[in-house]
Amino acid sequence: MTATALQTKVQPVLEGTLQLEVTNVSAQTDSITSISFGDPLGELLPCYVPGSHLVVQHASGANAYSLTGSGSAPTEYSISVLRVEGGSGGSLAMHALAVGDRVQVSHPRSAFAPAATAKHHLLIAAGIGITPVLSHARYAAEWGASASLIYVHRPGTGAHVAEARALLGAGLTECLDRGSFQEVLTRKLTTQKLGTHLYVCGPTAFMDSVLEQAHDLGWPKGLLHSEAFSGAALDDGEPFTVNLARSGVTLSVPTGVSLLETLENAGLSIPNMCRKGICGECSVPVLAGNPLHRDLYLTDQEKEDNAAMMCCVSRSLDNELELDL
Amino acid sequence: MSFDTADALKDYATAGVSRHDLCFTSATPDALANLRSALGRSRVGVRVVLAGPPADVHAAASVAAECGLVDEEMTLRCNEVGPRVIFCGHCHTSTTTDHPIGTNVDCQGCGTTLTFTDHFSRRVGGYLGFSAHAEEAA
Ligand code: FES
Ligand SMILES: [Zn+2]
Repeated sequence: MTATALQTKVQPVLEGTLQLEVTNVSAQTDSITSISFGDPLGELLPCYVPGSHLVVQHASGANAYSLTGSGSAPTEYSISVLRVEGGSGGSLAMHALAVGDRVQVSHPRSAFAPAATAKHHLLIAAGIGITPVLSHARYAAEWGASASLIYVHRPGTGAHVAEARALLGAGLTECLDRGSFQEVLTRKLTTQKLGTHLYVCGPTAFMDSVLEQAHDLGWPKGLLHSEAFSGAALDDGEPFTVNLARSGVTLSVPTGVSLLETLENAGLSIPNMCRKGICGECSVPVLAGNPLHRDLYLTDQEKEDNAAMMCCVSRSLDNELELDL
Repeated sequence: MSFDTADALKDYATAGVSRHDLCFTSATPDALANLRSALGRSRVGVRVVLAGPPADVHAAASVAAECGLVDEEMTLRCNEVGPRVIFCGHCHTSTTTDHPIGTNVDCQGCGTTLTFTDHFSRRVGGYLGFSAHAEEAA
């Protein structure tokens, strides 16, 4: 056994994290700041799929932010954060970062990837929703893929406007108010050639409205992609029961109490970090029953498989779930 | 689009939505070029219904997929009988047969006795055929 192996390493809070350094901080608008993270030794960072997000840890928890680069051979991971006063504190912590600060971040996670078979990418963003979509636009420009963007922002408050203009040229339609957006949207939704995929990111109500209109105009589900912001308020949920197969214990999860809290109250220690369904740390194996997946971590396929669930936010569709705990 | 029988889609209701019917005797290069250009003029929101013998329907479906259509945008109505294209997994030759699903056919390319199930590959536009004696060989 060597000396190095004996050294006790500091246990990272988030499994498989990267320890990065803030390399750049720049104001995009009055309330949006771009922050870049790099390897302290200047090494290349792992590549990522366009539209990926990064979980960034801070003193009071962790938040997920979309990466704004194209993802190929990145030397930096860049995010743009909207300051939310009175939010959970994540955005304020991000805005307080300065060059040289060390942060723990997850590996980039892809949940909003461009479709490989798409003939055209129709990107739609409102406000800070520009961030993942900008990643798509950069990627399309890099690889010569066909893309266009409808970007809704109020004059003077839009982030990355200059970059969007440079990347998309005539393919960019900027809308400065609701009325003009509606007009543009209807026109775009009815004139796309076959094989066009649609990607939308913005406030929940905005995304819902875009997806609903696309659906009403005959767009199949397979062509629609959306990126939900983290932290959307979840309801208290219905009560349910969990059977812990290995420990032979049955617990009831009341309304308003999470499965994670229930397990913790029963004395189990479940790894966790963000406690809001974004980091993937609190995954528990499901043996029977259908979980009500409410996290942003698992892919659609994984959610369908029902083999695991994020116990910090997810609940149950059935009265009872059986877990491998 | 229908093949072989002109009225295959007569009963297909489109509830007042505008429709465009294409009828051909079989999926000839000409018929497929016609489909390609009709799809080129179409916009997202259309639905494509393909009816006729399986080989023709699947040839047309593979053209539609190339044009970017996803499964939800296509309805395939294959006649129960009629020629199917079997794609050999060994030499990649396509063999046309009238045999029903689950039976064997000899590959026109390499002579391997192929068995085929209902595993249709849109990518190659045929049913995938595997050596019927694979287990014995292995
Ligand atoms: S603790 Fe992060 S997903 Fe549950
Ligand atoms: Zn063969």
